[in-house]
Amino acid sequence: MSVAARETALVTARRTNRYRAQRWAADGLTYLGLAAALVFFLGPFFWIVTTSLKGNEDYFSFPPAWIPSSPSLAHYGRLFTRSSGLRYFGNSLLVSTLSMLAALVVSLPTAYSIARWRFGGGLLSTVLLVLRMLPAIALIIPVYLMYKTLGLTNSYLGLIIIYTVVYIPFAVWLLVGFLRDFPVEIEEAALIDGCSRLGALLRVVVPIIAPGLAVVALFAFIATWNEFLFAVVLTGIETKTMMVLVTSFTSGGTDMFYGEASASVVLGVLPAFLVAFLLQRYLVKGLALGGTKG
Amino acid sequence: MKALAVAALAVIGVIVVIEVGPGDRALGAARPYEGTTVRAVVNAEYVKYSLSLIENDLYDKLGIKLETEVIPLDAFVAKTLLEFNGGRSPWDLIMFGGTFMPDYGRHFEPLENWVGKLKLDFYLDDIPDVYKKLFLKYNGKLVGMPYDGDVHMMFWNKVAFERPDNRKRFKAKYGYELAPPRTFRQWDDQAEFFHGWGWDGSDNKLFGAGASYKGNLYSYYWWRQRLFAYGGQYFDADMKPLINSPAAVRALEEMVRTMPYYPPGVLLFESEEPKTMLVKGEVPMLYSWTSTGKRVGNPAESVIATKAGFGVVPGAEIDGKLVQRPALTPGRGMAVSAYSQKKEATMKVLEFISNPDQSLKIVMDPKTIMDPWRLSHFRSEKFRKAFPGADEYLDAIEKTFLHVVPDPILPGANEYMRKLSFELTEALAKRKSPKEALDTAAVEWDKITDRRGRDKQKALWGEKMGEMKQLGIEYRPDWAAKAK
Repeated sequence: MSVAARETALVTARRTNRYRAQRWAADGLTYLGLAAALVFFLGPFFWIVTTSLKGNEDYFSFPPAWIPSSPSLAHYGRLFTRSSGLRYFGNSLLVSTLSMLAALVVSLPTAYSIARWRFGGGLLSTVLLVLRMLPAIALIIPVYLMYKTLGLTNSYLGLIIIYTVVYIPFAVWLLVGFLRDFPVEIEEAALIDGCSRLGALLRVVVPIIAPGLAVVALFAFIATWNEFLFAVVLTGIETKTMMVLVTSFTSGGTDMFYGEASASVVLGVLPAFLVAFLLQRYLVKGLALGGTKG
Repeated sequence: MKALAVAALAVIGVIVVIEVGPGDRALGAARPYEGTTVRAVVNAEYVKYSLSLIENDLYDKLGIKLETEVIPLDAFVAKTLLEFNGGRSPWDLIMFGGTFMPDYGRHFEPLENWVGKLKLDFYLDDIPDVYKKLFLKYNGKLVGMPYDGDVHMMFWNKVAFERPDNRKRFKAKYGYELAPPRTFRQWDDQAEFFHGWGWDGSDNKLFGAGASYKGNLYSYYWWRQRLFAYGGQYFDADMKPLINSPAAVRALEEMVRTMPYYPPGVLLFESEEPKTMLVKGEVPMLYSWTSTGKRVGNPAESVIATKAGFGVVPGAEIDGKLVQRPALTPGRGMAVSAYSQKKEATMKVLEFISNPDQSLKIVMDPKTIMDPWRLSHFRSEKFRKAFPGADEYLDAIEKTFLHVVPDPILPGANEYMRKLSFELTEALAKRKSPKEALDTAAVEWDKITDRRGRDKQKALWGEKMGEMKQLGIEYRPDWAAKAK
């Protein structure tokens, strides 16, 4: 090998090594950044989870007890028995699931008619979006008075109706995007093969835009689960939701109920977290699906 | 055969009488309201817990079961008034803040109507005057009972004040003896002195004092003890806000100036954070609600359980006389809903939960933040031995009740206080000057007054001013300059 060739090889090897080192450094920094972000965002949740399992003696120990010395589910037990946690957890599950289903059932045909036939001109979709922008606080008094007259306060039906109504505009807006992305030719082929409009929608369109529907369902479920204002004003002792319970522990001081307060927070976020985790595959696909057209 | 059947029936009869007869009848007599459920509404889970402490006794004595709804504190006033203003209420027993009596009072059932009829005894002689005069009456009629004696008092860590080295250094710097502060000038000096070093003998960097300055009412509670000590008042007789008077500005300027001596994050602190810092030995002194004492005295949590001092919140020296004006905050009271279908049973519940023995059980429990409010609570031998220093603690509370100043007890009190607190925190965060913040708050107060009806507010304020004057609280414009 000539001297020039050897030098070239050396230079190449040096460059490769430098490149590798730079890449490792960059990867290292990226992972370090990610780890820091993870600690920053999940640290408080970790602390809440461990506090919910700690005994009273561990709350204020120094150095801090990161892992409880004798973990126990006693706070969860007390939350369920003394604070009606089981009832409120069940209420949240029921109201969130039914509102989510109702929002889907109403939004899908609405979005379909807007996407295919520009139902309501351009106006309807704009009005729906504007409705979404209306803050809940502006609606709460009239809604309360209307509900009081209709006898809908402190009822599951009342909560489900309001959540469905509030969530429909966003669901329609999202679904219109998915449906416009959907190739109309596939639908037309189904019609030529003898499918009715409804049949084509249910048998052809829905299975293909399922990830989009999952996104809508997920957002509807989480939004309902986390909603507080309507839940606190329109409910009574029988129909309160988990978020109201969480807030009744955490607003105005927790005093010595750190364990129960933490347990209520864990139970308050867990279902939404689980649903998001289970549907994350569809979430990414669905967001990409609706992202190409507005 | 017939005789046998009769004998068998007789035996069965005897058994039935033994099993369910006299015992249950006797119990039935002892539980006159058996089968009744009274619905209560409160504003936090720990208040619900406090009611659970007496539930069994209540059932054993009266046969009444309590079903308690919790509406979170921040939504409580709005939600309950929304229900009441609709002329109905799903609740029989209502928790309320005494400050908000003008908003709530018309929805409460006067107690006098029932006292004779049911032979109720609310032990009114056992309640501090300030409650009876300011918090429990509506249109001159008694409509509620206290549940939580919500006043501020001072706590300190004796180590900080008794270490010889600290005393020597303090005297050398400030020219007077180090002792628990009696005036805000001393408080500020001591906060400056203690801040940033190990006043407990450790190498830790500790803080000068504790406080809660969050703008959702806390900064207002902490500020107004200075305001009144310097002769301030909320309004004059014409409903002109006095919250930007020289006394008010001075109080806020002092707080802004001493901000560096408080823990970082004090602008976001609500009640629990500084209490925790006190019991962990990180701040040498704090004034806060009296329930803090139960945490201070709990050795499982507190490193100062045997080293804590208790006293009245500092004030100011005016013409050689000490003026202390600790805050009497909304607190919690209980009343019977005027719309209840079970008024008689609910009156019995109210009498039961506020009687000296049952209420003592509630205020003594270390897990509740319900504060003592009966004179017999302060003097209870059991309570005075509950933790080290409990006797000093209870004496300090009793003394505090002689000096307390209430909130502006007017319709819309919550609005007035929240607007003011927001502006105070703006100044503490140095986003506005103290004068600018207080001027803005005064403009906001005028708007609230106009919206609520100036004449109506003025008439009510006139009454409240009269009641406050009876307690020795009036506007003294000359004090702002002379207060030491």
